Amino acid sequence: MARKQQTAVTPESQLPLAPATFEILLALVGGERHGYAIMKDVTARTDGAVRLGPGTLYGALKRLLKSGLVEEGGERADPELGDDRRRYYRLTKLGLLVARMEARRLEAMVRAARQKKLIGMEPA
Amino acid sequence: MSPEGVYRLLLRAYPPDFRSRYGGEMSLLFRDEYRTRGATAFGFWMTMVWDVARSAGSMWVEELSARVERFTRTLEAVMKLAGILAVLLGLLGVLSTLAETVAAMRGTLEGVHALSVALGGIAAVLLVTAGAALLRSTPSSRQTATIALVASFVVILAARLMHPWMSMLLQIVGIGLPIVLLAALHWPHRRNPSTSPAR
Repeated sequence: MARKQQTAVTPESQLPLAPATFEILLALVGGERHGYAIMKDVTARTDGAVRLGPGTLYGALKRLLKSGLVEEGGERADPELGDDRRRYYRLTKLGLLVARMEARRLEAMVRAARQKKLIGMEPA
Repeated sequence: MSPEGVYRLLLRAYPPDFRSRYGGEMSLLFRDEYRTRGATAFGFWMTMVWDVARSAGSMWVEELSARVERFTRTLEAVMKLAGILAVLLGLLGVLSTLAETVAAMRGTLEGVHALSVALGGIAAVLLVTAGAALLRSTPSSRQTATIALVASFVVILAARLMHPWMSMLLQIVGIGLPIVLLAALHWPHRRNPSTSPAR
């Protein structure tokens, strides 16, 4: 049975998110994943630019569980990785909302950077 | 020693609670990554050591902050009880002062003795005020409690030095209680971590 670590928080109080935290939330948007799957997703999505170590990943997951953005799913083996039982993590509604808000915040920043012609220009 | 054994040794850098909760998963993740990226890569081990060093430090900071937070919450509950105690003992002090006044008025009430008894009464009233302020537990009432406790301590000390009319219990309560309450009142309070962003 899924276990929840409760703490009532407002979405606004969670912003801005640390880059590693946002990467983890993005990895979980596609559905529940175990730690190694989250790590692989982040590495693949960023072309290896962001590599989360075990300590960084589980430290961030601990905080996300505490603030109620992520919850634990069940424990089961991943057929691709052997018989070891792995704990799965998934986004909560609050987590999805915070991820959306962070994405909009970043989008607005990129838009501003484009308007200032910092990006989106052909190189001279 | 196997690479996983070495990594399990590195995990000892984390707080025990974190290690017991996530250590197994972290070892599993290490093993998966080790198999994928290769054992002999020096860079791989450097990455792992750096990851442990960086994250263990922040985990310890969080762990110690949580301990302080728990202690502070306990202290706040204790302060409520201390407020009730201060009110009751302050009232006891007021009654003692009245009894001393009545007894002294039957005989000869010297000037210094009379002044000392009056000061004792003032200190007791200040202690009641401090206790009532502690029960309200707002920032302004904390300030009121601090002022009342300091004043009570100074006044009771002056009363004791002038004339030794107080019982040993009254002296211990009158002098010791304000000191203990001031120390507890100014213990560093922290913000509720539940409102902190998930960094």
